[in-house]
Amino acid sequence: MTARFGRTELPDRQARSLKRAERFEWLTLGYLAISIVLVYFVIGSSQAMKAAWIEDLLSLAPPIAFLVAIRIVNRRPTDRYPYGFHRSIGVAHLVAGVALFAMGTFLIVDSAIGLFRLEHPPIGSVQIFGQTIWLGWLMMAVMALTIPLPIYFGRVKMSLAKELHDKVLYADADMNKADWTTAVGTIVGVAGIGIGWWWADAAAALFIAAGILRDGVRNMRSAITDLMDTRATTFDGDRPHPVTAEIDTYLRALPWAAEVGSRVRDEGHVFHVESFIVPRHGRTPSLRKLREARDGCIELDWKVQDIVLVLVDELPEEVGGPVGDRQSERNR
Amino acid sequence: MGRIARSLAVIVGAVIALSGCGLAIPADPHGTLDQVRDGSLRVGVSANPPWTDTHDDREPSGIEPRLVQRFADELNAEVEWTEGGESTLVSALERGELDIVIGGILDDTPWVDQAAMTLPYTDSTSEHGDRERHVMLTRMGENAFLVELERFLLGNGGVT
Repeated sequence: MTARFGRTELPDRQARSLKRAERFEWLTLGYLAISIVLVYFVIGSSQAMKAAWIEDLLSLAPPIAFLVAIRIVNRRPTDRYPYGFHRSIGVAHLVAGVALFAMGTFLIVDSAIGLFRLEHPPIGSVQIFGQTIWLGWLMMAVMALTIPLPIYFGRVKMSLAKELHDKVLYADADMNKADWTTAVGTIVGVAGIGIGWWWADAAAALFIAAGILRDGVRNMRSAITDLMDTRATTFDGDRPHPVTAEIDTYLRALPWAAEVGSRVRDEGHVFHVESFIVPRHGRTPSLRKLREARDGCIELDWKVQDIVLVLVDELPEEVGGPVGDRQSERNR
Repeated sequence: MGRIARSLAVIVGAVIALSGCGLAIPADPHGTLDQVRDGSLRVGVSANPPWTDTHDDREPSGIEPRLVQRFADELNAEVEWTEGGESTLVSALERGELDIVIGGILDDTPWVDQAAMTLPYTDSTSEHGDRERHVMLTRMGENAFLVELERFLLGNGGVT
């Protein structure tokens, strides 16, 4: 498989990052499979353990979404999909976000009901190798085991997400970072039961659920706004992506360009760019000049994909043109 | 990593500190084990021979009353027997009026939302040849008491 996103063949550096990201997602899936089985056997009647287990199950979604999306994105554009398959990332992102949101809501209601009904969770003992020990110790031990790896995975994936401009990977890295808070929260909850604070468990579960819900809302919002063609932002959605300004600056410096404004939308990994250019009076550029300008923009960043240069006599309002009626529909 | 190491240190430290203060883990929110030890053990019995047998004027007999009596002896407790139907007894258990409910209860009991179940302490075979696993019920969340009872039952494993 040549490392590419649609027609964009990835630069070596990004191609290596993509391979590495794939490997880490497979590792994550393996780790989660083990963790899900381990935790399942010690859930008992702890609400916090249940929340942590469901969080583990949900954590499967982003790596799977990433691995599937990477394969779909790899296809070239076709007649039927002239813009390529980049949006599959957006769809994967939305699916992951909605799953998190729904589960966070469910867990919050579930734990709140437990607190409200003053449910006292019973945690008895287990027999291991003929020894009878309190199950709570085992719960805490298993949870402690699930702390170190997600932290490591999260850090690696965060840097790869930045490199590849991949929001699903970012969401996943974010979830891994949340994983250890979940584990610590569960340990606190079970320890709480241990010292007789029956409410500590449900409280810890609420805390975990709130984290899941927050992840869900953030990812859902980010996925929806991307599908709504919000302006391209950095991988973490914090600020406008600098490449928009870079393109404008580059084009404005061309001798034949008078005014320049670009619309840039994030297609998943790569950007679709529409740059409107008002040429200097009497200096309509030749096709060769236009092609050079386009290539110059693509040189700026590998993410610049499907750039379209449009010559207009007046910039559309959204990219810095004068305010007018029904102007953008005509893209003057 | 620093933050995580610190959080873990705090937790471990807190647990050690708490156990150092003579706090047993797990503990009972309602202090059942403390009340039973050198006090009284309130047992609900629903008739289900040969596990439990009730008599109008005498104390309950059967396999489980004998086990419970030995458990009470270990804790130096007097047994107070209450006879009744399972659902009445489980309600009393929920209200904290009983400490244990027995009656040949199996581990697929429908009372799991109202009562804490001990580990299955013995097996039997039903008349249809199915394996049945026997448990006792204790009050929800009284974990020190639950673990103490489980230790006793498993230590005295099997029914004689």
